[in-house]
Amino acid sequence: MNITRRATLAIPAALAAPSLRAQSLTKMRVSVIPVLDVAPLHAAIREGYFAAEGIEIDTSTTAGGATGLPGLVAGQFRVVFSNVVSIMLGVREGLPFRFVSGASKGKDAPPDILALLVRKGSGITTGRDLEGKRMASNTRNNIVWLRGMAWVEKTGGDWRRVSTVEVPFPQMADALAGGRVDAAIFSEPFVAAALETHGDKLERIGWPISETAPGGTNAQYVAMAEDLAANADLFDRFGRALHKGVDWVNERAGQPALLELIANFSRVPLARLQKTALPAYPKGVTPAELDELVATMQRYGLTGTYPASAGLIHRTARV
Amino acid sequence: MRRITSGTWLVLGLFALWEASARLGWVDSPNWPPVTEVVAALIRDSITGELPLRVGGSLWRMFSGLLAGGLAGVVVGLAFALVPVTARLFGVVVEALRPIPVPAVIPPLVLFLGLDDPMKITVVALTVFFPVLTNTMQGVRAVEVEAIAMGRTFGIGPWRRAAFIVLPACLPYVLAGLRVALGLALVVTVVAEMIAGEQGVGNYLVVMQFAGRAPEMYATVLLLAALGYALNRAFVTLEKRAIHWWFAMGR
Repeated sequence: MNITRRATLAIPAALAAPSLRAQSLTKMRVSVIPVLDVAPLHAAIREGYFAAEGIEIDTSTTAGGATGLPGLVAGQFRVVFSNVVSIMLGVREGLPFRFVSGASKGKDAPPDILALLVRKGSGITTGRDLEGKRMASNTRNNIVWLRGMAWVEKTGGDWRRVSTVEVPFPQMADALAGGRVDAAIFSEPFVAAALETHGDKLERIGWPISETAPGGTNAQYVAMAEDLAANADLFDRFGRALHKGVDWVNERAGQPALLELIANFSRVPLARLQKTALPAYPKGVTPAELDELVATMQRYGLTGTYPASAGLIHRTARV
Repeated sequence: MRRITSGTWLVLGLFALWEASARLGWVDSPNWPPVTEVVAALIRDSITGELPLRVGGSLWRMFSGLLAGGLAGVVVGLAFALVPVTARLFGVVVEALRPIPVPAVIPPLVLFLGLDDPMKITVVALTVFFPVLTNTMQGVRAVEVEAIAMGRTFGIGPWRRAAFIVLPACLPYVLAGLRVALGLALVVTVVAEMIAGEQGVGNYLVVMQFAGRAPEMYATVLLLAALGYALNRAFVTLEKRAIHWWFAMGR
């Protein structure tokens, strides 16, 4: 996989920037999760945008966000893709994370990248019905969980009375269909997969993002404050290349080329991706979206003192 | 050609049961594909060269760890058994480290060694170290006293005694420890690869799980089972050759 990625990176780079010395590429290791949100990063790698800025990206896939942020603190990664709640919890604990770029947001109207599914015939349609029931989330205290709790409250339920069970996304459909949980918050492409394979047993009852915070923030790229201060120029180049990747993706919204790119890095079958809802791909991070998020976190038990959000946004994300 | 043994028939029977349970809907889940689809996925990704490359990488890491951990286990085991003061000094530390589950030490190892080969090989070496150490110490205790006494009589020094009398004599025990370690090493290599990095069979397993591609996932599981079996068979053959005298003694 690594070999082919380097090869595909080298060819367009040679065409785009013939004057560039191959040895001058700065290696940057980026932690990613194999999800739809990282499409712009892979587009920028494949199209040679990073190579044109003198950067070689080495992606490292982790199964969940859990190993990414500690790896950033330990100096294993220069940049980490992570969900915004995990990032802000780290910031609250005093870790010097700074936003380098936006990654994904919900769209203003359905379909969302998150969906709440229940068994057909269970009679559960609102958060109120979920009180005293078991709801699956991939992790507790992340953006998926937070949006799910907000949905419960929005539809008349008390989030404290819904018990959360941690189930990894790939196992959620089986857990739900098998009656091990009563509801589950899925993220794409697992929504599409669950409805494709368990469509006779499962149904969607809610859109946790567009029903509670339309266009709500979801995930970003972060780096360490000291690294950003010491290597501001490198990160400027990183931001430029990544944002060209964002443009590439946004220009091809709904086109087969984008789905082929995603199928390539995520290995999700193309046929399933055609039924999958994609997020919005923003370049920047705004203080307003972070303030909204922190207010929501405070409301659902993730209380504490968070630093002013404007100071957390590096200049590459102020676009 | 050799006759097909009853064990082979059992494996084939289990495969048939697997196929039937998926085809006839006894287990109704997309995460339970028929074995024929699994084998098709295995062949597909073997032809593209992806799986062979990843298996090769995993095996390289496994054998590096096996070599490092095995050597350390033998050396420390000999020292503990032959020089009692070392056992008194370090015995407690080793015994305290031994029961720690390897997945629990991976996060701190990531902190110190990163996400690439050094971390993964260290994890494997740690796993291999303990069974080899314990068996080596046991082996030294089983060396016949007369053999060592005769060495002394002939004026052979302690270093050469350890290398040419004690070590060969306890080799059967060392190899038994290595055989246990071999199975563990494969498991731990895959676990380490699943946690981070983009290398090896373990990472392939995670990516396919996230992509919702059950046939590829099970293809990996089948492949690992076959690999583990083949490694064990190869080891037994080598063991028979290396210590044929032990078997010749009828033990």
